[in-house]
Amino acid sequence: MAYDDLRSFLNALDEEGQLLHITDEVLPEPDLAAAANATGRIGENAPALYFDNVKGFTDARIAMNVHGSWANHALALGLPRHTPVKEQVEEFARRWDAFPVAPERREDAPWRENCQEGADVDLFSVLPLFRLNDGDGGFYLDKAAVVSRDPQDPENFGKQNVGTYRIQVIGANRLAFQPVPMHDVAQHLRKAEEVGEDLPIAITLGNDPVMAIVAGMPMAYDQSEYEMAGALRGAPAPIATAPLTGFDVPWGSEVVIEGVIESRKRQIEGPFGEFTGHYSGGRRMPVIRVDRVSYRTNPVFESLYLGMPWTECDYLVGPNTCVPLLKQLRAEFPEVQAVNAMYTHGLMVIISTAKRYGGFAKAVGMRAMTTPHGLGYVSQVILVDEDVDPFNLPQVMWAMSAKVNPKEDVVIIPNLSVLELAPASEPAGITSKMIIDATTPVAPDVRGNFSTPAKDLPETAEWAARLQRLIAARR
Amino acid sequence: MTSTPSECPRCAHETIEQLFTSPVPGVWDVLQCGRCLYTWRTTEPARRSRRDAYPDNFKLTEADIDNAIEVPSVPPLASRG
Ligand SMILES: [Zn+2]
Repeated sequence: MAYDDLRSFLNALDEEGQLLHITDEVLPEPDLAAAANATGRIGENAPALYFDNVKGFTDARIAMNVHGSWANHALALGLPRHTPVKEQVEEFARRWDAFPVAPERREDAPWRENCQEGADVDLFSVLPLFRLNDGDGGFYLDKAAVVSRDPQDPENFGKQNVGTYRIQVIGANRLAFQPVPMHDVAQHLRKAEEVGEDLPIAITLGNDPVMAIVAGMPMAYDQSEYEMAGALRGAPAPIATAPLTGFDVPWGSEVVIEGVIESRKRQIEGPFGEFTGHYSGGRRMPVIRVDRVSYRTNPVFESLYLGMPWTECDYLVGPNTCVPLLKQLRAEFPEVQAVNAMYTHGLMVIISTAKRYGGFAKAVGMRAMTTPHGLGYVSQVILVDEDVDPFNLPQVMWAMSAKVNPKEDVVIIPNLSVLELAPASEPAGITSKMIIDATTPVAPDVRGNFSTPAKDLPETAEWAARLQRLIAARR
Repeated sequence: MTSTPSECPRCAHETIEQLFTSPVPGVWDVLQCGRCLYTWRTTEPARRSRRDAYPDNFKLTEADIDNAIEVPSVPPLASRG
């Protein structure tokens, strides 16, 4: 089941019992953010939250935590709500192989129903904006799919980028924008600023649930997010032409904001509580002038709480970080079984791999650090054997405790690159990186006493199924 | 709405602009500092809306704002032709 817009997905969540409509009047601050923060503190399978009674507003509809549990993530992919995490990642990887799936252009985008232009643009009148964390410098758009094009190759569909970036509303028609240097839009902006030109940009809010997943996914520079969305949805992604920029934007967006990043201008931005669980900001960032806002009648404003993990952000970018790393590693090392890159967008990664020969696992760890995403993340890699599930943390801890001889199995490499937001980097953007090899040594690496492992009994799988049947029958 | 505060909770600058007012009249305003761009709603807790309750960790000085680094830095203009 592919959802073409946010609304149809919210309906599906509601039918599955995964949407909580809060009808009591709430304060915009601190209630909206605190409620979304709390979804990460009440155990598994928290619902999405929907607010429409917010003090001072007459016409606010706010959705939060839409991807904020494994149940919701499974439903976003059209999987049964109880699908285990490892299976969600495997299915994601399987669908990836269908890439590219050409998008389907549609004419009748519902966001064509209403618009504000030029001097009439007032984002506050369209969006019920609010603050997330105490130290945030203002109100943010933090779950947008932002579209930009390579100014030197504007007709290249693959180089048209769709990404998620933090955006601070600093005026009725002005935004401060953070393009992470490793990301595509930073390259687009650099090319435009080198010739003194503004960079056109389209910011789409309230998208179908797969669009939000691909916008936050680390992909190659010339890979199209829309073609990846089609692969993951199992159906072409519906797109439409944005009226001002002519960019391809999601057909089903609630709101489409168009304008330009003003060339060679920077303004104070932030701070903003980030996915690292720490604030970053107080720096001068590029500025967007909004020239047009198109929006559906009765738009739903979708926002995402992030702060100390786990939050919705971790569910949203967990599997979509695992799968590119898995694909890139397997392309050279088919021995790689599974990759768990769900901690802080892959600052730490757990990889299970078979060993070709002694020392092989450490090479896999080094390769993870040199993948495109690894250059900006992957500061710690734990390697485990092929029969250890990297998503099963007790198994991973067992492997670490039983297999690691620290002097030989922990490798630290100084002065490598990492995104500037990494709180432990020093100076910002530079870090040491660590490999912990918790695999069993194989020849010619003959260290340790691993010749007689106690494996699960051959009959155990059969008994596990039998116990589950008996337990189920007892209820 | 109650009278506009005279200083920014974050940097103590005294030029405050109103960005928006509540659609239900008189419930809240959204205000912004003219110097550090700090933006807040008048109904927010004191720790976000009053200078005397604002956390020291998040306060900014004029020097902090003037010395803030550019991210990304503005690239050199490419020579044309
Ligand atoms: Zn200020």
